Amino acid sequence: MKSIMKKLMLTAAVIASPLMASADAHGDDLNYILVSHAPDSDSWWNTIKNGIALAGEQMGVNVEYRNPPSGDLADMARIIEQAAASNPDGIITTLSDYDVLKGPVMAAVAQGIDVIIMNTGTPAQAAEVGALMYVGQPEYDAGLAAGQRAARDGVGSFLCVNHYISSPSSTDRCQGFADGLGVDLGNQMIDSGQDPAEIKNRVLAYLSANPDTDAVLTLGPASADPTILALQENGMAGDIYFGTFDLGEEIVKGLKSGIIEWGIDQQPFLQAYLPVVVLANYDRYGVLPGNNINSGPGFVTADGLAKVEQFAGEFR
Amino acid sequence: MSDPIIRMTNIEKHFGSVIALAGVTVEFHPGECHCLLGDNGAGKSTFIKTMSGVHKPTAGTIEFEGAEMNFADPRDAITAGIATVYQDLAMIPLMSVSRNFFMGNEPRKKVAGMSFFDHEHANDVTMSEMKKMGINLRGPDQAVGTLSGGERQTVAIARAVHFGAKVLILDEPTSALGVRQTANVLATVDRVRKQGIAVVFITHNVRHAMAVGDRFTVLNRGKTYGTASRGEITPEALQDMMAGGEELATLEGSLGGTV
Amino acid sequence: MSDATNSDERIKQTSRFRQALIRPELGGMVGTVAVFTFFLLFAFDSGMFNSQGVMNWSVVSAQFMIIAVGACLLMIAGEFDLSVGSMIGFAGMMIAIFGITLGWPMWMAIIITFVICVAFGALNGYIVVRTGLPSFIVTLATLFILRGFTIFIPQTLERKTIIGGIREAAEGDWLAPIFGGKVLTGFFQWMGDVGIISVFTRGNLEGQPVVSGIPMLIVWALALVVFGHILLTRTRFGNWIFAAGGDAQAARYTGVPVDRVKILMFMFTAFCATVFAVCQVMEFGSAGADRGLLKEFEAIIAVVIGGALLTGGYGSVIGAALGALIFGVVQQGLFFANVESSLFRVFLGVILLFAVILNTYIRRMITGER
Repeated sequence: MKSIMKKLMLTAAVIASPLMASADAHGDDLNYILVSHAPDSDSWWNTIKNGIALAGEQMGVNVEYRNPPSGDLADMARIIEQAAASNPDGIITTLSDYDVLKGPVMAAVAQGIDVIIMNTGTPAQAAEVGALMYVGQPEYDAGLAAGQRAARDGVGSFLCVNHYISSPSSTDRCQGFADGLGVDLGNQMIDSGQDPAEIKNRVLAYLSANPDTDAVLTLGPASADPTILALQENGMAGDIYFGTFDLGEEIVKGLKSGIIEWGIDQQPFLQAYLPVVVLANYDRYGVLPGNNINSGPGFVTADGLAKVEQFAGEFR
Repeated sequence: MSDPIIRMTNIEKHFGSVIALAGVTVEFHPGECHCLLGDNGAGKSTFIKTMSGVHKPTAGTIEFEGAEMNFADPRDAITAGIATVYQDLAMIPLMSVSRNFFMGNEPRKKVAGMSFFDHEHANDVTMSEMKKMGINLRGPDQAVGTLSGGERQTVAIARAVHFGAKVLILDEPTSALGVRQTANVLATVDRVRKQGIAVVFITHNVRHAMAVGDRFTVLNRGKTYGTASRGEITPEALQDMMAGGEELATLEGSLGGTV
Repeated sequence: MSDATNSDERIKQTSRFRQALIRPELGGMVGTVAVFTFFLLFAFDSGMFNSQGVMNWSVVSAQFMIIAVGACLLMIAGEFDLSVGSMIGFAGMMIAIFGITLGWPMWMAIIITFVICVAFGALNGYIVVRTGLPSFIVTLATLFILRGFTIFIPQTLERKTIIGGIREAAEGDWLAPIFGGKVLTGFFQWMGDVGIISVFTRGNLEGQPVVSGIPMLIVWALALVVFGHILLTRTRFGNWIFAAGGDAQAARYTGVPVDRVKILMFMFTAFCATVFAVCQVMEFGSAGADRGLLKEFEAIIAVVIGGALLTGGYGSVIGAALGALIFGVVQQGLFFANVESSLFRVFLGVILLFAVILNTYIRRMITGER
């Protein structure tokens, strides 16, 4: 009896030890806060939440996710101020409105808190606010690369379905694409709103008014999914050159069935995971990568879908 | 009998195609309680609303203190000295007695050049006026909603009298009240009449009218049957004139007494 | 039939303490104590009660207080204004358009924006009063109209929906600091030097205290609360506000200018929304098309927590201010306490429910409602 008890307790200790290792192994208690600009309703940021959770676990640090519930950037500024007041070891955030957010971010840096900018913002802005680095996909450059790729495939005109008209980075993507193609942006970018039925109708309206459009560019699952439905409805699915930013369940299906040529993966997992790793190593050992990290663009075509499908919505 | 303070001559009021008043002539004297009787729909409310400036007569003249008057709105009539206590009282239950008492006539004091509501004065006056009327308040901040129906009527009457009413129009004041409260209101009316104010008492209850009235006018379907003084007419006759008589006469027979 | 006794034996003598306690603000006071107790227990050392933490939730509370005062007076007068949030976005955008796109001096942009927005408020009031339509519907329409313009105008003129650069344009202006500046900066610098407040340790802010002064937003909030409270309880006009909301018809019969009162209250609400917007734009340096979204509901919630009756005629500005304080403390405090941010709405709903139930009991005690 006694030996069985002993064996059970040993087994329990062995099983439990990796779980306990994270807190004890480093002997410190590092706290980071990620403040995003996304409203609660934006499901794209789920990948970010999972990425920081995984990184936190593996690096043995605590990472919190905070965001303004309605997506109001003024509220986001208050949250950054609040995060700074709670004195974490580092803050990871975006610069979705440089004017509004630079004040609170610079104040956090001046307090001695390390900051990494991810996702939205340019490397130049990140340097100006005193952040350690920028991790993300520069929007204009990604659009430019996509436009150049499309130009090589013979595209001359396009429709850009912008579902986030109030964000400057969305416009940058469309503008970059137009410049990559070598054409004027003009009326080729439409404000589609955020309601799926509305987006579908506006796409249908534009394509029937401009039947010679060579390509369609959408900026994420929010605009891609209704556009797929629209193209299926007016019979252009598979005929018109369709590229999109970001990945998602319907987009993956579209890639497989040939409706979508490529998806630009900005690899949000890396935008969440890498800043945590960089901050933890910087706080512990003082090492810091010498430049910004471009998490994208990664062009995903029908060939590279296996892992994407497996982890769609979770880590991809 | 002194000169009439208000004389209404041939008043007509049309609402679209509906003729509410078809030529009514009545006089009211100070120090007198003049009862205006009539069944529901006879035109009593419309008549007093015309007298107090809410409606403008379609035809006919109003003379106040001998001069012809045209009231543009209720404020004009109030300023002239015609105060109305409506059936729904114009008392706001959520507000205190003091605030209700002085609504529209708030006393003001100047502090540093700006004028503020003089709560001390308002509270003092309210408490003393209420005491005179026999209502004992816990405090001037007491909300009107905590008072009974009869007490609210009395506050409304006290308010009208305090602000210099020369003519006090009471629209069905006792219709929703119990016995004790009715008696209180009628006593108040008596008190007010003795102060020299002309009281116009609207009712469809002949017994209440007979208790306080000096003169009686009956309205039926927008017209009057004339005015009678106390002693010149019996309750039964008044009752007959109001309802058109026959139905109530038969009912009296089977019920064995005055309705 | 003599009632000449000095006191009515049917009325219980209530203690002076109880009399002082039973007032419209009681629900708000109880809520404030409860909320602070909760956060003192769960977030005491999270930074919530150091100088930065206090400034953080004070500023958010002040934001709500500004619009809650306007919403409170209007609700007591018997009406709602659902377009407050849209007006915040609209006012901010107008300042950016006038000051940046058209290049006018900032003080002119601010004054013209106030004039336009208060005029919109007057229009809201005029339509409600003339047509007799519920203000809920009229201001719902204004909500859409203003929000639409807020997106359309910058899109058409500048092809974008966020206009920045206001801080630079406001430099040297005499009116801008009254909304976006800070007061008592000397005192706070002294506190930083002496060590009561911590200071920045690097960058070009080094040596300055982390809290450098009291933002004008807070000053405006307190000023509006004081003004609103005195107007409501100590002036003739305040009596008219209660009357207009309690029973508009009864008020008219006694000569209260109900229509004028309501239109003025709509104008005041618009004024408060514009103050909010100007402070926000001056502090953050940019105007966005989605600013102020849904703020009108938050204002109404703060006012209701503070004891006002939705149907009008009863309420308190101090109560609304406490409701706004509760709102701000809870919104920021949940972050300090490490509570999942989606639970904010759950907390808010629970507080609202308790506050309304408590306020209903208190109101029945005061007004004798059954």
